[in-house]
Amino acid sequence: MIKKTILALGIFTLLFPVAAFAEDPSAATLNMGLNSLWVMLSFVLVLLMQGGFILLETGSTRMKNAGHVAGKTIFTTGLAALVYWAFGYGIAFGGDSAVNALFGWGNFFFDPSITASEGDNYPSTVFFLFQLAFAAVSLSIAWGGFAERAKLSSYIVFTLFFVAIIYPVVAHWIWGGGWLAEDGAQDFAGSTVVHLTGALAAFVATVLLKPRIGKFNKDGSANEILGHNQVFTALSVLLLWVGWFGFNAGSTVAIGDGFFGFVAFNTMLGAGAGGVAALLISWAVTGKADITTMLNGTLAGLVAITASCAFVDPWAAVVIGLVAGVLVFYSVKFFEKIKVDDPIYALSVHGMAGIWGTLANGIFATQALADKVGIGTGGLIDTGSWKQLWVQFESVVVVGAFVLAASFLILGVMKLIIGFRVTEEQEIIGLDLSEHGAYGYPEQMKKPGHNIQN
Amino acid sequence: MSDPVRLQLLKQIGSADHVEGLRSLRDQVHEQMEALLPTHPVEQFNEQINEVHDAVIRRSINLAEAEMARLGKGSPPVPYAYLLFGSGGRKEQTLSSDQDSGVVYEDPVSDSADVKQYFKELSQIIVSNLQSVGYPPCEGNVLSSNSEWCLSLSEWSRKLDHWFDEPAWEAVRYLLIIADGRCIYGESRLVDALKDSFFTDMLNHPIILQRMLDNTLRHKVLVGIFGQLLKERYGEDAGSLDIKYGAYIPMVNSIRLLSVQVGIRETATLDRIAMLVEAGQMSESDAAVYKQAFRLLLRLRLMTTEQKEDGLYANNGKLSSRKLTKEMTDELKSSLRLGKKLQRAVFKQTMGRLT
Repeated sequence: MIKKTILALGIFTLLFPVAAFAEDPSAATLNMGLNSLWVMLSFVLVLLMQGGFILLETGSTRMKNAGHVAGKTIFTTGLAALVYWAFGYGIAFGGDSAVNALFGWGNFFFDPSITASEGDNYPSTVFFLFQLAFAAVSLSIAWGGFAERAKLSSYIVFTLFFVAIIYPVVAHWIWGGGWLAEDGAQDFAGSTVVHLTGALAAFVATVLLKPRIGKFNKDGSANEILGHNQVFTALSVLLLWVGWFGFNAGSTVAIGDGFFGFVAFNTMLGAGAGGVAALLISWAVTGKADITTMLNGTLAGLVAITASCAFVDPWAAVVIGLVAGVLVFYSVKFFEKIKVDDPIYALSVHGMAGIWGTLANGIFATQALADKVGIGTGGLIDTGSWKQLWVQFESVVVVGAFVLAASFLILGVMKLIIGFRVTEEQEIIGLDLSEHGAYGYPEQMKKPGHNIQN
Repeated sequence: MSDPVRLQLLKQIGSADHVEGLRSLRDQVHEQMEALLPTHPVEQFNEQINEVHDAVIRRSINLAEAEMARLGKGSPPVPYAYLLFGSGGRKEQTLSSDQDSGVVYEDPVSDSADVKQYFKELSQIIVSNLQSVGYPPCEGNVLSSNSEWCLSLSEWSRKLDHWFDEPAWEAVRYLLIIADGRCIYGESRLVDALKDSFFTDMLNHPIILQRMLDNTLRHKVLVGIFGQLLKERYGEDAGSLDIKYGAYIPMVNSIRLLSVQVGIRETATLDRIAMLVEAGQMSESDAAVYKQAFRLLLRLRLMTTEQKEDGLYANNGKLSSRKLTKEMTDELKSSLRLGKKLQRAVFKQTMGRLT
C-alpha cells in the first residue's frame, strides 16, 4: 500500500512538476482564503437554518397545513435570493447614496468580481451570500405571523417588499454605515436587525390577519391549538442552534486571531441558559415542565445573545440567556392575554428576546470587547455610563417604529387590494388543499368529498 | 332546608312508586339545596345531601326488586347487599355524582347460575332506574350491572385474593375502590365479611402498600412552588381550578391510605380522620387542621360547574376562580399546602411501615 502511494506520488511529480515546485501563496492570500472559507461555511450554516424554520413552523402548526408551511419556506427563500440580488443588497451595502445615513444606493443586480481583489479580506460573493442568508432568516421569522391563514399570494408580495426595502434599510442603518452605526449601536449578529425586524413584521401580519379560527373563545379565554409534531419542533431547535454558530461566530467574517471562537462560546452559554431558565419557570409557575416553553427558551437565549455575543463576558452571556428564558415564558402569556395569536411564538422568541438582547449590550458590554470589535462603548456595569444603553434603546425604538410603520403600510394596502386571509372554508380544510391542491400527509388526511357516496 | 320539609321529602322518596316520581322529587331537592349551600355549614349540608341520595338509591332498589317480581322473576333467592363505591361510598356525593356500585350476595346452596342471573337482571334494572333518576353511570364501568362487580361472597374473596396476589395498576385501583365500599341496601353483614377478607389480605400482603402508595399520590395537589394556584390555562375551563382532582381527590386518597393501613373501616373522609386520631395515628391538632381544610374542599367541590347532559346530573369538578372570594382563595391556598404536607406525611409514614 505504502509502496503504491509513493510510486503514484513519484509519477505525479514527474507529470506535474509545477505542483510540486509552485511558488508558496502569500500570507495575505492565505488569510483571504481562510476568511472566505469561514464566511462561506457560515453562509451554509445560516442557510441551513431554513431547515430549522421549516421544522419549527410545521411542527408548531396542524397537519392540514404542513405541506404549505414547509414548501413556502423553500419557495420564498428562492424568491428572496432574486430580490436581494436585484435590489436589497444595493440598499443595504450598495454604496454611498445622497442620504447615506438612511439607505445605500448602487450595485443593483449585483455583479461581483469573480475573485477577491488585492487587499480584500474575502471576495464580495461570499459576503453577499452570507448577508442574503440573514435576510432570508429574518423573512422566515416574519412568516410566523402569517401561519395557517394567509393567502399564498400574500407571501409573494411581502417577500418582494421585505427583502427589497424593509430589511435592507434596517441592515444599512446598523451594519451598512447608516446613522445608527455612526451612533455606535451594537448589534453583533442581528438581535435587532434580523430578529426584531422579522418579529415585528410577524406582529403586524398577525394583527392584520386576526387570530386563527378557534384560538380564542367568546369570553376571551384562549384555546391551545397544539402543533402536530413536537419532535419536529425539537429537531428544529437543534438545527437552528447549530446554524446559529454560523450566524453569530460567522459574523466575525474573519478567522483572524480566533475571536470567532469566543463568540461561539458565548452563544452556546446563552442558548443553554435560555432553555434551562424557561423550563424551570414553566415548572414553577404552571406545575408542568412544558416542552414547547423550554424549546422557546433555548431559541430566546440564542436570539438574545446574538447582539451581545462579541461584547460581553461569559458570565453575562449566561445571565442574558437566563433572563431571555424567563422573559419568553411571560411574553407568550402576555400575547395570549391581549388576544394576539402567535402560532410559532415569533413575537416572544424573536421580538421580546431580540429587544432584550439588544438592550443587554447597554448593560453588560465591556469596554475592552467594544474596543476589540470597534463599535460603541462598554455598558452600564463596566463603565458606569448610560450612554451605550441609551444608544441601544434608541436603535430598538427607531427600528421598531420603522418596521411597524412600513409593514403596516405594505400589508395594509395589500389587504385592501388583493386580500390577505384565506376564506373560512379554506382555513378549515387547510392550506395544503386550498392553496396547493394536495395534502402534506395524504394518508392521514381525507380530501373533503371523497368520502361522500356517489 | 328546614327539618320538617326534609323529613317530609325523605318520606315521599321512601314511598315513591315509580322512577319518574323519584326523579321529580330529586329535582325538587336540588333546587332547594342549591339555595342553601352558601349559608349552611358544609358538613351538615353534605350529610343532608347524602341522606337524600341514599334514600333515592334505596328506593330505586326497592322499585327494581318489585319490577323483578312483576316480571315473574320472584324475589331475591339469597340475601344480598348493594354497595356504593366512590363518593357514594364515602358519603361525599355532590348534587351531581355518578354511580359506582356493586353487589355481594350470599353463596347459593344450589342453582348458582340462576342466582347469578337473577342478580344480573336486578342490577341492570337498578342501574337503569338510577340513570332515569339522573345518576350517570361510572365511566370506568364500576357498576353492579357489570358482572365483574356483581358476585357472591366467595367469588368476591377469590377476586380480592387475586388482586392482592397480582397487584397490577388496575388491580390496585380496584382495591382502593373496595376500601371505599359501603352497604347501602340489604345485608350489611355481607359487606362486613367482604371487608374482613380485604383487611386479612392487607395484613398478609404488606407489599401492597407500596403499590397503593404509588396509586394514591398520583394526583398532584394544584399549588405551585410560590404557593400560587395552578389553574387551567386553555379551553373552555381556562382560569378554572380542577377542585376534584387537584385538591379533593389527593386528600381523600391520602386519608384513605393512612386508614387502610391500620384497619379503619369508616369510609367517609372526616370519619376516617377522627378514627385516625382515636387509633393514635394522627395528633388532635393535625386532625383539626386537616378537617378544616377538607371541609373547605367539600364546599368548593359542591360549588363546581354543573352541567346537565341528556337529563343526567353531571359535573366536571372544575371551579371558575371568579366564583372564589379573596378569603376563600387564601383559605384554599393554605388548604392545598396542607394537602401537600399530608401527601408527604403519607409517603413518609407508608415507607416507614414498609422498611
